[in-house]
Amino acid sequence: MSDAAMEVVKPEMKSYIWLQTADGSIQQVEEEVAMFCPMICQEVLQTGMGFSKAYAISLPQRVNPAILGLILDYCRFHLVSGRSNKEHKTFDEKFIRMDIKKLCELTSAADSLQLKPLVDLTSRALARIIEGKSPEEIRETFHLPDDLTEEEKLEPLRNITDDPHIRLLNRLYARKRKELKERKKLKDVEVEEEPKDERSVEDLLSFINGADGDTKEARTNKNKKKNRRRKDHSKDLSSKNAHENDTELNPLPCSYHNGNFDNALEASASKHSRMQNLPAVNFSPKFEFIDGDIDDDLDPAMKEELDREVEDFARRLNSDWPERMQILSLGQDRRLLPISMNSNGSTHMYTSFDQR
Amino acid sequence: MGDVMGPDLISDLPQSIIESILMKIPIRDAVRTSILSSKWRYKWSSITQLIFDDKCVPFSSDREYVGRSVTKFITRVLFLHQGPIHKFQIKSSKLQSCPEIDQWILYLSRNDIKELVMELGDGEFFRIPSSLFNCRKLRRLELSRCELDPPQNFKGFKGLRSLGLHQVLICPDAVESLISKCPLLESLSVSYFDNLALTIRAPNLKHLYLEGEFKDIYLEDAPFLVEISIAMYMTDDIAEHFEQSSNCNFVKFLGGVPNLEKLVGLIYFTKYLSIGIDSVHLPIMYNNLETIELYQVNFEDTKEILVILRLITSAPNLKELQISGSSNIAVAADIPDLDFWEKECLSGTTLNKLKSVKLSEMGGWSHEIEFMKYLLRRSPVLETLNIIPCVFDMENNLRMLMELVKCRRASTRAEVVFYRE
Repeated sequence: MSDAAMEVVKPEMKSYIWLQTADGSIQQVEEEVAMFCPMICQEVLQTGMGFSKAYAISLPQRVNPAILGLILDYCRFHLVSGRSNKEHKTFDEKFIRMDIKKLCELTSAADSLQLKPLVDLTSRALARIIEGKSPEEIRETFHLPDDLTEEEKLEPLRNITDDPHIRLLNRLYARKRKELKERKKLKDVEVEEEPKDERSVEDLLSFINGADGDTKEARTNKNKKKNRRRKDHSKDLSSKNAHENDTELNPLPCSYHNGNFDNALEASASKHSRMQNLPAVNFSPKFEFIDGDIDDDLDPAMKEELDREVEDFARRLNSDWPERMQILSLGQDRRLLPISMNSNGSTHMYTSFDQR
Repeated sequence: MGDVMGPDLISDLPQSIIESILMKIPIRDAVRTSILSSKWRYKWSSITQLIFDDKCVPFSSDREYVGRSVTKFITRVLFLHQGPIHKFQIKSSKLQSCPEIDQWILYLSRNDIKELVMELGDGEFFRIPSSLFNCRKLRRLELSRCELDPPQNFKGFKGLRSLGLHQVLICPDAVESLISKCPLLESLSVSYFDNLALTIRAPNLKHLYLEGEFKDIYLEDAPFLVEISIAMYMTDDIAEHFEQSSNCNFVKFLGGVPNLEKLVGLIYFTKYLSIGIDSVHLPIMYNNLETIELYQVNFEDTKEILVILRLITSAPNLKELQISGSSNIAVAADIPDLDFWEKECLSGTTLNKLKSVKLSEMGGWSHEIEFMKYLLRRSPVLETLNIIPCVFDMENNLRMLMELVKCRRASTRAEVVFYRE
């Protein structure tokens, strides 16, 4: 709409008010329509402005030209007296049909112009939209960011309702929170042991690489020395192995799936440092044995997890060649990279620890 | 966290608008908005209107369980709420009287409560705690199924505009005293009381709604009454008491309400007004009275007919009249007292503004027919006369129609509509 068009002189019959929106554009509006808005009415009466283009009434920032058009349509209809309530209602129902973005803008603009009936109408429309929707649906409708932490989300649920579904959710969340704590604990544990990691993998890899080769003699020598020791520990081992066999069939603990995998694997990676010390079922007996002392620092729950991780790693090492290739290639890098195992047995690599 | 969808549309609206939106959705949905996003966490907690009902909690067929769930829900919401609470409403048929309710009312009394509506379950009546009487800003109070005991030194609710007591255990003096101590009272609704003799002193009262067994109603000081609706139940003792009374109830009841615009009377109200009516001359004109609705009028009793006639002739601006007859008339008793009608026809008053008349439960009795003829002859601007017979008895209805057809009409526009079945 060019300014030239705006300045066309309208017939003398009606009186006009000039309104300027925040973007600078100026509109000419019939006086009675403009004065229907309390804010404009007040401005005109208090300042005396608005009767010419140069002294146009500045509208609040929230009113853009398109929305102003809508508001003026509303005013134009409602200022006419003599219409029945039903006619007003029908008009309102049709008027309010617009996309959500416009509806919100309209609410905001009507509020800044103090047009209470229109604010009520739009509020009711927005209320109807919100009512009955799930939080996800509401977020989607209004483009709300899902930026509450899980713990923050849990609080109000816990306090508000006795819904059995919510109670179940709360129980699951409580479990999850426990796992969050445990992960933190494990993370702390790993941090201490990190330096050991690389060494252990290199050792393993060198063992795998040099499995058939050079160290035979050394091995036999070692064997003689270690045999006795091995016999002593064999009872422990077999019982442990038996135990591990039992747990082998258990699915991975729930903390180790999907999103939590990386951290869990960090943990398990750290436990691999013990691999050199504890034999698994199919390993060559040439491994050295450790004393069980090192394990005493950990609590039994951790110990069990460690055992399970050991078992897993052993399984992996003894499985398909491609997997072993992955392990080898991992070893080339200085950093330890975890392997993940999906429930269906296939593996793929993560390339970083971080997921958040 | 990329804004793939676009900017937030709604969270930056003024808090007052957000609150008004949240108050238009059920309280449960409003509270759940706290997990939408960080901005929305506490937006709901300052809404000034809390409305609870059985739907706040998930459905269960165990009534007690639902009642307890509702109680817990309300307590938690109040705990999380911050700021003034202007309206608090609980309507739950399953919520039973419990100690938490005392705490709620105490909490509300400290938070500027203005409107309190409590309608509790069918069990034991809840006893309203004294903290209610500390709610100084109260403007509207509606209580159902509870026990109310105002303290002796209670000075009244200085700002109360609307009072509703339904099935409330309260001693009659306390009711009268409560009403008279609320000087700004505009609307009063009292129902399901037994044997109550009520004297109303409420200088600002505009709307009165009474329903129950009333021994006596005396509008001592309610000059600004605009709308009255009374449903009077009767027991035998009350009926006796009426017969022996020498008062003119009409004057006692309607004598002080010149500004009346609408009058609705049900069950025994017309009978009540008929006591002593023929002994006095009525002084007042009701210039604003535009609508009269009287139900269960016994056309066999000429005194009750007199009530109607006196009313409509004292209301020069009457526009709408609805009369419902009583179907208890025995056939044999239909010996019309035509003298009565001749006497009435002597006064030449016309009903100059009467436009619409609806007569229901008409049995086709002589007095009813005479009344219809009376109306037709004296209503120059009458537009519709709707007649709904109570029994489709060919004989009686035919008689009615024949008389109506014969009758001279003062209004050329009058339509007499006779409903079948």
